[in-house]
Amino acid sequence: MTSNATPPQPLLHASKLTLHIPIIRPKDRQLLSNPARFLIDLYFSRTNRDVVTILDKVSFTLNQGERIGIIGANGAGKSTLLRLLAGIYAPSSGTLEVNGTVKGLFSISLGMYPEATGLENIYMRGLQMGLKLQEIKEMVPEVVEFAELQDAIENPLNTYSTGMRTRLAFSISTMIEPDILLLDEWIGAGDARFRDKVQARMNRLVEDSRGLVLATHNTGLMKRLCTKGLVLSKGKMAYYGDLEEALEVYTNDKKLQARL
Amino acid sequence: MSISGGVFSLRRIQLWVYTSWFEFLIRYRKTMLGPLWLLVGPALFISLLGLLYAHVGGIPVEKFIPHLTIGIVVWTLITGFLVGSTRVFQKAQAQIMQDGIDLIDIVMVSVLSTVIHFAHQVVLIIVVLAFFKVPITPYALVSLVGLVLLIINGIWLTIVFGIIGARFRDLAEIVQAIMRIAFLATPVIWMPSKTGRGGVMGAFLDFNPFYHFLELIRAPLLGTPIEPLSWILVLSITVTGFLLAYISTRLLAKNIALWV
Repeated sequence: MTSNATPPQPLLHASKLTLHIPIIRPKDRQLLSNPARFLIDLYFSRTNRDVVTILDKVSFTLNQGERIGIIGANGAGKSTLLRLLAGIYAPSSGTLEVNGTVKGLFSISLGMYPEATGLENIYMRGLQMGLKLQEIKEMVPEVVEFAELQDAIENPLNTYSTGMRTRLAFSISTMIEPDILLLDEWIGAGDARFRDKVQARMNRLVEDSRGLVLATHNTGLMKRLCTKGLVLSKGKMAYYGDLEEALEVYTNDKKLQARL
Repeated sequence: MSISGGVFSLRRIQLWVYTSWFEFLIRYRKTMLGPLWLLVGPALFISLLGLLYAHVGGIPVEKFIPHLTIGIVVWTLITGFLVGSTRVFQKAQAQIMQDGIDLIDIVMVSVLSTVIHFAHQVVLIIVVLAFFKVPITPYALVSLVGLVLLIINGIWLTIVFGIIGARFRDLAEIVQAIMRIAFLATPVIWMPSKTGRGGVMGAFLDFNPFYHFLELIRAPLLGTPIEPLSWILVLSITVTGFLLAYISTRLLAKNIALWV
């Protein structure tokens, strides 16, 4: 899969990405166990402010045509890393170089207007995703058709079933095909029939993208999709490189510990 | 979260105008009167308070009510900017986390929403000026300059207060508290006396920035002169404000996604 020719320009180049985030905690840990403690905390104790390191010096390069799988236990910092790559968070230190359009498919149902109709949501989400009005207008028929909402597209979103809502969110989010696709776990939406369509579109998105970064803890999926592996453990990069080796490091606890 | 170049692209302007109008539309969709509600409240307030205070203060109604109307409507615009700004990024959390939408987009949508509200209430001013046959001279056009200055100030204010408010939730409370006092300290429901612009507040009036912004809009419509001090203060606030906005964006904008 990997070519020996040096690619012209990497799609993504991350160098020592570090992210600290502030968190605010109540001073009293057993706050709600008793109403008195609750009142005391509210009026007297106040809070502790803390800084937590979520990512610690993560470095990697995504070249044209490569697909990197980020694997790690829950809380390892996979989703946060994706948000950093998407430009939502800025690194506390380290540099990130991006060449191309980036689109993350995470929390796809966020940012919708419950009181607006499905059609209106297509427009509003499209604008927020960075499309022009004319572009959205051209995409609407396809989005509506893919979501299989028929006439319900004229109804407000808060009348939709969960399945309908997910279908619409998925259709909207996959309207544009980015150069660099960021996936937080594989998306499987809806009933059995719709799931096939989703699979097909997901596969097409992955095929058409020039580079993929996938965060997962599914080793099978990673084997199927990715060309390289990056193992995260508690925010630290335990391994980056060969896919097989990455999976080996992830599954073998001793190896993982040795590398931290 | 970032600020990217090309602030005034077509796509951007579509996003701002559409989002602000659409949110406005959605808000009133389920009401019977729709945006007319923006007129009902202030109209009642102005007619009752206007008659009462004109009587109490012994000022002729045809002088006091135009003064009061312009004051209330402009004051609503000022509070709209201030109150809207402190939570502007919290409210846009979904868009920030989903699309990494630009700071300037969120700010402009917020400012435009406030301006849309204001634009509706301008009807009140027109009706009152016509009803009391307030003579309108070409000098009244200066009012538009004042309005543009106020709206421009809304932009830096939303940036600066939005950033501070995202980090310190206290700001929203502070602003609420101050605005209530500021309302009384600004000649909206009272008139500065002819001689020393006096009363209790007279000496402090020059230190009240709201007064100067209000004067730039109100005085030309009522045919009273604007003091040079008002121009100097408003222009220096504008320049300082944008400087502050520039600095805080450069230093702090990247943290917003972590704070909201």
